[in-house]
Amino acid sequence: MAEVANTPRGKGVLLCIQCGRCSSSCPVARLTEEHNPRRLMEMVIMGFKKEVLPHQLPWYCLSCFTCLDRCPQGGDVGEVMFAIRNLAVRQGNVPAGVAGQAKALYETTRVINPVRSVLDKRESLGFSKISNEGLEEVQKILKKTGMEKIVSST
Amino acid sequence: MAEKSVLVVGGGISGIQASLDLATRGYKVYLVEKSPSIGGRMAQLDKTFPTMDCSMCILAPKMIDCSHHHNVQLLTYSEVKGIKGSPGSFVVTVLRKPRYVDETKCTGCGTCADHCPVEVPNEFDEQLGMRKAIYMPFPQAVPRAVTIDKVNCIDCGLCQKMCQSGAVDLKMEAKEVELNVGAIIVSIGFDLFDPTQIPTYGYGRYKNVVTALELERLLCASGPTGGHLIRPSDGKIPRKIAFIQCVGSRDRRFGTTYCSSICCKYSVKDAVLIKEHEPSTTVSIYYIDLRAFGKGFQEFVNRAKSEYGVRFIRSSPGEIKEDPATKSLTVWYEDTVAGRIENQEFDLVVLCPALVPRTDAKELAKVLGASVDAYGFFKAANILTNPVDTTVPGIFACGYCLGPKTGDIPDSIMQGSATAARVAEVLERV
Amino acid sequence: MKYAFFLGCLIPARELSYEVSVRKVMPELGVELVDMKGANCCAPFSIQSVDYSSWMALAARDLAIAEEMGMDVMTLCNDCYESLLMVNNILKRNGELRNKVNELLSEVGKEFKGKITVKNLVDVLYGDVGLSKVKKAIKEPINGIRVGAQPGCHLTKPKRIHFEILRGFSELDSLVQATGVESVPYERKEMCCGGPLRDINDDMARQISRQKLSALKEAEVQAIVTVCPFCFLQLDLGQLEIKRHFNEEYNLPVIHFIELLRLGMGMKLEDWEIKAHRIPITELLKDRL
Repeated sequence: MAEVANTPRGKGVLLCIQCGRCSSSCPVARLTEEHNPRRLMEMVIMGFKKEVLPHQLPWYCLSCFTCLDRCPQGGDVGEVMFAIRNLAVRQGNVPAGVAGQAKALYETTRVINPVRSVLDKRESLGFSKISNEGLEEVQKILKKTGMEKIVSST
Repeated sequence: MAEKSVLVVGGGISGIQASLDLATRGYKVYLVEKSPSIGGRMAQLDKTFPTMDCSMCILAPKMIDCSHHHNVQLLTYSEVKGIKGSPGSFVVTVLRKPRYVDETKCTGCGTCADHCPVEVPNEFDEQLGMRKAIYMPFPQAVPRAVTIDKVNCIDCGLCQKMCQSGAVDLKMEAKEVELNVGAIIVSIGFDLFDPTQIPTYGYGRYKNVVTALELERLLCASGPTGGHLIRPSDGKIPRKIAFIQCVGSRDRRFGTTYCSSICCKYSVKDAVLIKEHEPSTTVSIYYIDLRAFGKGFQEFVNRAKSEYGVRFIRSSPGEIKEDPATKSLTVWYEDTVAGRIENQEFDLVVLCPALVPRTDAKELAKVLGASVDAYGFFKAANILTNPVDTTVPGIFACGYCLGPKTGDIPDSIMQGSATAARVAEVLERV
Repeated sequence: MKYAFFLGCLIPARELSYEVSVRKVMPELGVELVDMKGANCCAPFSIQSVDYSSWMALAARDLAIAEEMGMDVMTLCNDCYESLLMVNNILKRNGELRNKVNELLSEVGKEFKGKITVKNLVDVLYGDVGLSKVKKAIKEPINGIRVGAQPGCHLTKPKRIHFEILRGFSELDSLVQATGVESVPYERKEMCCGGPLRDINDDMARQISRQKLSALKEAEVQAIVTVCPFCFLQLDLGQLEIKRHFNEEYNLPVIHFIELLRLGMGMKLEDWEIKAHRIPITELLKDRL
């Protein structure tokens, strides 16, 4: 729990009173028993690191922030999700889709790029080019933050 | 030499207790009340917890005492407008709003109301029932006189024509009176948190989502349905009822981060009441923590579970959705003990809202020069040594206007007596 | 009114017609949009999930670019909006964090100073341009159509972000109704479209969209109006995916809010823009296109 609580987005885990308002508001939790924000908080509080970090669980969150909108105490499980995911990524648990986007960002400054036909259309409309102008700067930054390493290892 | 008289602002149970204590000791008490009758919130309740006594039956004798005691002068339908002076010699300006009826002549027969053509929602019934423009707020009102609500009155003069005692005076004007008092007691009570601030619970949109105070009026024999608990949408008897705790309380989104301290208690009381009425009703209470402190209360909760079959579910529900055809409500919750997200349908949902300072509390505090705390409740001078003193010497406070300390009826009565003792102490020293 | 125009990644890649409508409509309302040179991806939730300081630095770099331009940022996508807004607010208030981020930015010769605000298309239209000006610009109101407006999660939740209040539905509803259509209330209006789960768990993403689409169908809307391009994708293309996987059809055309505005202002859409809608809009808006 301390590990999560000591991250900027994970502080809420110390305030959670396990009231269950988040889970009963969560659109994903309504659909599947697997994903349950309150239970996830409980597991973090109880120190179930092994069960939480390698799991698919934190990756089902939509980041829709309905839970954040309703949490009475500041548990803010939607934010804590990010803290958990950050830790999970460092253990090598990251879905392919996310890893792909991170890689694209590192290589092109964008998570998704237009295909040739779209670029052509763009040119015909006279809009500004989609360039990789900022690539050098972005890569410099991401090398420093360590994201470059994460991207290359996944 | 200190004035041997006291002003009590707010005619609820704590103000009434303070008034009677002081009056008995020989002090002259001016009891000022904003609405047409004293009685306050307790008059709106059906039964009290955990003894299940009829609220009005306990309150009414004290109200009558106030009206008959030679040392108590009731100034109802009046407001405090200004003060000057210091402990022992305050001069208070009180505005006596015109009720257009002579209190001394009105017998409370009700003929005027019978003939009045104007009907408006009744505040005492939390807008669930109707009253006339000339009205007695509730049957046991003290003073026993009607009042004309000039805002809605159409000046037809029928009431005046029908009155057998000549009590109606349509030309009555507001009057300002100056009272010389030695001390002041504030006992203005509370308001309810407005649940429309939580749109996902549907209050205001869904007819069968009500507040606990509205429920009290539905349960009360003197209420808009004569004590029959029926659904607002179709008048049918609800077979499945849910109570939702902590609506606004303990919630940082609205600044009401405190626990209102009485809601767990009264919801169990209401649940038991409903079960006694109709044992086949399913009653579910959705709570975060069940705060059942004090003498007899945990025992009461246990009885509610074992004897009456009230269901307790540890969950703060996320959403309430209405079935457009039946107007029944589906409550989405997670049974946090079982770890399962479920939904259940109910005929009626009762929200237990936070108790908040009255909207006019700030203004009164300003007039008196007293401080309020971050929530808007009157601040005690020192919570440990002078818990019923406000920050102004000579001005005291009791009851829920001081905040949710414990806040139930016995506590409010205790605090009323406490302020009376403080007043006597201070005035005998000045 | 000038804004640093933050396009984001999704629109230029997959919803070019959205950008076209914006560039056609905004100048008519007195808004000049200046492209941000060298801007990078805002670091949406997928990237935020990978690393915290990368998110801060990436978003701060974009904010620094806008600061150098001396303009507030206008975003189109809700994800971009919330990412840049949060970072802007956090860094404005937290000096320690700001210093750390500026250390990273100094490597590339940039600095976050906290001088600008981040706005969304709805903010700009409702707050800066103003509802009355928008109403006046509607030359050919589109009457007689019931729509369900989808504000998207990140325009409306959580109600308080770092002490700023995000709007509710009323602003978008007023803007939508200014075009003449009726914005109908429906259950679960606040609910997510399911977009963020695309490529992570496609089945779940579809099920969420399904819930949203059923609520819209129950309210008997004839079309859905979106602000966020992600919502558009999820609800438009998503209907075809749902047809394939669940064999259910909703036949609810989805239209970008800015496109609706464009039509209301009397402009016509080009063929390729009409075809960009996977659920055809031709039937519903036949004479307007």
